[in-house]
Amino acid sequence: MPARNHTQWKEVPGQLKPGQWVDSRIYSDPDIFEEELEKIFKKVWVPVCHESELPEPYSFRTSSIAREPIIVVRGTDNQVRAFLNVCPHRGMMIERQPAGSFLEGRPSGNPKHMTCMFHGWQFDMKGNCAFITRGEDGYQERLKKEHVGLRRLRCEVKFGGFIWVTLNDQVEQTVEEWAAGCFDCIKDAIDTEPLEVFHYHKAIIGTNYKLWHDTNSEFYHDYMHYHNRVTGFNDEYFARKNVPFDNGHVNVNSFEVKYDEYDGFESRSELSFPKFPPNQWYMVDLFPGMNFNLRGSAFRSDVVTPLAPDKVMIEFRGLGLKSDTPEERMIRIEHHNTIWGPFGRNLHEDLIAVTGQGSTMKTGSEPRRILHGRVEDEYIHDENGVRHFYDHWGKWMNRLPSDPMKEYMVAAE
Amino acid sequence: MTWQKVCAADDIANNTLQRFEVDGVAIVVANYGDGFQAIAPYCPHMEEPLHESGILETSGVLTCSKHLWQWDIRTGEMVGMAEKSLLCYEIKVEAGDVLINLEKELVYEYDEEDELDDDDFFN
Repeated sequence: MPARNHTQWKEVPGQLKPGQWVDSRIYSDPDIFEEELEKIFKKVWVPVCHESELPEPYSFRTSSIAREPIIVVRGTDNQVRAFLNVCPHRGMMIERQPAGSFLEGRPSGNPKHMTCMFHGWQFDMKGNCAFITRGEDGYQERLKKEHVGLRRLRCEVKFGGFIWVTLNDQVEQTVEEWAAGCFDCIKDAIDTEPLEVFHYHKAIIGTNYKLWHDTNSEFYHDYMHYHNRVTGFNDEYFARKNVPFDNGHVNVNSFEVKYDEYDGFESRSELSFPKFPPNQWYMVDLFPGMNFNLRGSAFRSDVVTPLAPDKVMIEFRGLGLKSDTPEERMIRIEHHNTIWGPFGRNLHEDLIAVTGQGSTMKTGSEPRRILHGRVEDEYIHDENGVRHFYDHWGKWMNRLPSDPMKEYMVAAE
Repeated sequence: MTWQKVCAADDIANNTLQRFEVDGVAIVVANYGDGFQAIAPYCPHMEEPLHESGILETSGVLTCSKHLWQWDIRTGEMVGMAEKSLLCYEIKVEAGDVLINLEKELVYEYDEEDELDDDDFFN
């Protein structure tokens, strides 16, 4: 077939229909990006870290959701609580380290308290203001500790011990309701025993956060993964389905991975997760961009933090069982790293793809169609998972993914 | 009376504070030049470790450098902005050794964290 001139290039290819493509401006437009932070990321549950990252009372972890700084702390009662990491006095970020403990003192703080180093205001692990420096001298009776506690945020520990936080006090669903059953396939495996993070790295990638989630939500790109392609394409592989759930989530059904057919790999059947058959592989793709990936012996999570239309921070975690022996843990780490580590078999290839897309969809680049039009009865190379995601994205944003300057409801009629 | 040896008098330089553990009890001993004082190890205000953040002047005034509470180290009494006195152990020097009377551990009462009503908090 011939190449196309500009006019032909802009026409709908073949007989694809709206819904089977998206407009690339959803990945590049700064206004759409800002709107996503407001309408989606400030409304939904976000897994900010794992409870094993807060090993004891006074442990903390900082993060952010939609540019709002978050701190989660383990209280003296062992409960995990989340707060806005902002001092109610002058808006200083209270804790600047990514993780640590408040048990010991600091150069500008006391033991067992969060301290804003700016003017020395202090807070306990429940977010109460514990001390205002020279409070009565400056505020007399007009402002007291009970007026300036931290902003507490809704927080749940759920699904394998992840710590879920939302900026939305009025959120209508619990984390369980929000997940809408999409964790059922791995629930026994990750909720029978406590898990523990053994791998963490984060990367700032030059692409839109949805392009990463798209890649996690379709397996057609196994044509890029050389090893998957040459060893994995068999009847069982193609028998898997992408299963949509409410709220825009998707599962990818399991099949038995034959690791011993991978060049340089051995069978992984000896180590798995509780109540989970060996070498099974499930994926949970959670709206609006979190991925939970259980390959028999190792569990991975991706959490995206959108930074700009063409910039996303991805936090990668690898998890095993807290009860692992040192030998089991070493096996899990090796199994994790050889597939998903920064030098593993798949991860860098996925990153090449999404940064390549990011390069062609920079802010101001000409709008073009990004095709999600494969229809194969929801079998593994069907792009129904991606389409399901954008159907929900459109509702949250009230924009039509295939023509984002039009309203979703109007266009749907 | 259960007098226990803490250290040799020579172990603590003039106008300094040092932390010790005696029978598993943490204490801080101050050498204020003319004598010694043994106190509970934390500031009565916000649990600051005083062997790290306490500044002992030759006048005998101990200052916690975090919120500037002050005491007369000879007596443990409040000076300036302090709102609670220091808890002090009986102390004596015999044959070059510092001894304290450790009948029971001295601890401050700090404010408890308020209980939250979790069910209603966000509604």
